[in-house]
Amino acid sequence: MNPRAITGVGVASPLGVGRLAFFASMQAGARAAPVAGRAEVPAFDATAYLGDKGLRSLDRLTKLLLVATRLALHDARLKVDGAWTQAGPKGDQVGLVCSNAYGSLEAITELDRVAILEDPRYINPSRFPLTVANSAAGYASIWEDLRAVNVTISDGNCGGLDAIACADSLLGQERAEAIVVGGAEAMSEALLLAFQRTGALGGEAFLGEGAALVTLERLEGARARGASVLAEVTGYGTAFYPPERESSLVFPSAEAMEQAVRAALADAGVHAADVDAVVCGASGLAAFDEAELSGICRGLEGEAPAVVAPKRALGETVGAGGAMGVLTAMSVLQGGARGYGLRGALRTEARTVLITCLGYYGNASALVMGRSSR
Amino acid sequence: MFVTGVGVVSSIGLGKQAFYASLAAGRSGISTVGSFDAGPLGRTLAGEVKGFEPGDHLTRAEQGRMGRCAMMAVAAARMALTDARLTASALAGPRTAVVLGTTMGEAQLLAGMDHDWIVRGPEAVRRSAIPKYGSTLLPIHVARAVGARGMVMALPAACAAGNYAIGFAADLIRGGRADVVVTGAAEVIQQLQFSGFVRLAAMAPERCQPFDLNRQGLLLGEGAGLLVLESEAHATQRGAARQAEVGGYGLSCDAYHITRPHPDAAGSIVAMRAAIERSGLRPDDVDFVNAHGTGTRQNDAAEAKVMHDVFGERRVPIASMKSMLGHCMGAASALEAIGCIFSIERGLYPPTIGFETADPECDVDVVAGVARAGKADVVVNNSLAFGGYNAVSVFARPGVLPPPRSPGAAAPDAPRAAARAIAGQGS
Repeated sequence: MNPRAITGVGVASPLGVGRLAFFASMQAGARAAPVAGRAEVPAFDATAYLGDKGLRSLDRLTKLLLVATRLALHDARLKVDGAWTQAGPKGDQVGLVCSNAYGSLEAITELDRVAILEDPRYINPSRFPLTVANSAAGYASIWEDLRAVNVTISDGNCGGLDAIACADSLLGQERAEAIVVGGAEAMSEALLLAFQRTGALGGEAFLGEGAALVTLERLEGARARGASVLAEVTGYGTAFYPPERESSLVFPSAEAMEQAVRAALADAGVHAADVDAVVCGASGLAAFDEAELSGICRGLEGEAPAVVAPKRALGETVGAGGAMGVLTAMSVLQGGARGYGLRGALRTEARTVLITCLGYYGNASALVMGRSSR
Repeated sequence: MFVTGVGVVSSIGLGKQAFYASLAAGRSGISTVGSFDAGPLGRTLAGEVKGFEPGDHLTRAEQGRMGRCAMMAVAAARMALTDARLTASALAGPRTAVVLGTTMGEAQLLAGMDHDWIVRGPEAVRRSAIPKYGSTLLPIHVARAVGARGMVMALPAACAAGNYAIGFAADLIRGGRADVVVTGAAEVIQQLQFSGFVRLAAMAPERCQPFDLNRQGLLLGEGAGLLVLESEAHATQRGAARQAEVGGYGLSCDAYHITRPHPDAAGSIVAMRAAIERSGLRPDDVDFVNAHGTGTRQNDAAEAKVMHDVFGERRVPIASMKSMLGHCMGAASALEAIGCIFSIERGLYPPTIGFETADPECDVDVVAGVARAGKADVVVNNSLAFGGYNAVSVFARPGVLPPPRSPGAAAPDAPRAAARAIAGQGS
């Protein structure tokens, strides 16, 4: 791919809200403290960032995404004090691509409860739009006047990386000058129940939540407007492998991981030996973690750079997971995230980082990022 | 790139031939909803798919691991492969991707789990049901069925999801990331969305009458429309029959209201102009527009504004297949894309059935009542959605579109000047 510039970060996570707080936590090796299998964004108060008006009918997913979107636009200095800056693109040239795996289970459950226990005629029409998967991204467009592309991607825990690939393609087709891209997933009773009932929690695995976004631009565009380039995205790969048994549905595919890694390296034009560190998606689910590491190993042809696992600190954030990985990679490039090592020791001078995600259904994605070339 | 195969599961026919025959005949797929009791809501009609037998299209193992939405998608994918004269083994490998749209995916599975949980408690939620939920799964199931090993992506872009998927699929081929993409969208009717549209006062009591003075709203529908998109090189190499060429597509976001279209239709105009310009065409080249045409007052009036702005004095024929299919939400613009290909292949514009009285607010040339013969070299497929989404795709008779601007169009980042021009119109 043509290298893309990351010019801003917007994040709302258990390890902090906003770039500085988040990276300070990553530098210090902070970890969320899960209670009963879950870690939420502590004392999350959207009004501190968005004001008091217009939030009443919104759900947690939308509020997390709204806060992160606003932060990403301001961090990239596309906006200052809520207004588009003179030098940069305006609302008609700025878009949003957000990965989200399960939509607003909060809103769907709430309306189902009314429909089942009372009467379907009593469901609140102002909450109905929240049940639609692209609702949070739609609200973010309204709050921030984002009139170019607006895309929601549902690719499970690979979605955060696939969203970057989607934004890359949209930037390449000049459908926007800048795209706020990443993922968001909100804690809900239903999501926690689903993870508990399927045995996806326990051991070191816990459920997290949050929104993790970066502002992505074409390098030339970012330089032309004088933006600081925090890091570059240089390659992407993805693959799907069917299971051996016809009846399988949930399974880890080391083969898909290997192919995704190979494809990402080729796309970035780097060799396995160039990779200084890997940010993986291991969450504490043994079978999946082993397959992911094995796929990474084979994809890197025996090279063994240090591997960090941010989900140890952030929990499984599903649709946001890949995007949390992207932020972790930025921290690695700045010498941080040393407290999340899964294997090997991080080099201080990491220049090229591989980010990986392994899906639950045979898919896998990988991304290559590097320091700003200038 | 070209559409070389299509597959349809719809309320007006299974498979391309049955679907085409119904479009030509103006057949209605609207009936009383049977999958749940809609009576108490005061609305009972929808374009429910009643003739679909999963066992005719899927193995027992496949039926066991997926919900009805994916079953319709996989069935339509198989039909599309057959129509394209492709075997699954021909598509096996990393150069085949699957990109699908939907609004809610397996909404019926989620509703079932919610019901068990709310009525009987958390322990009653079946463990085996949980992993079958999630729109992520739609392209996974289809990839397994067609042997694809490239990108699998689900785009839940509400009622514009079909055009989103087809557009992004085309970009994957344009960007050199895939040779073949199995794309389209699928949707099922489910009680919660049905109730939601009733509560938004958007649902008609009896008929969906797009552009009619007395229109009273939409009716819901369901189904799956899948298409095989192939790069020119791939299609040429295997000597595939080309049903239509895929032109450009246009996207924009109103950033105005979560459910209502912008009354000036500014975003919708930007998207339609972009789709036409990105196809290397001018508005004068367009022969027919498939309307989003939901039959709500606001939608149809906004679309009429788009037609006037984009085409000026020229009255380009427009029709809404939702008069026959109902509004199939995420699947709508995918099924209707196949309807656009019907127009190109048959030289017929599908009718807007139930249209009786012209509305001065919608002063457009509606193809009313019965199908109309006409030139269909370039057809525009319009869609709007919750979230302020506008997505428009263009299909053309093979050989009609000008060659891509530069041979390096496979390299992204090429059509800069055109994009600038388009972006300029947004301000």
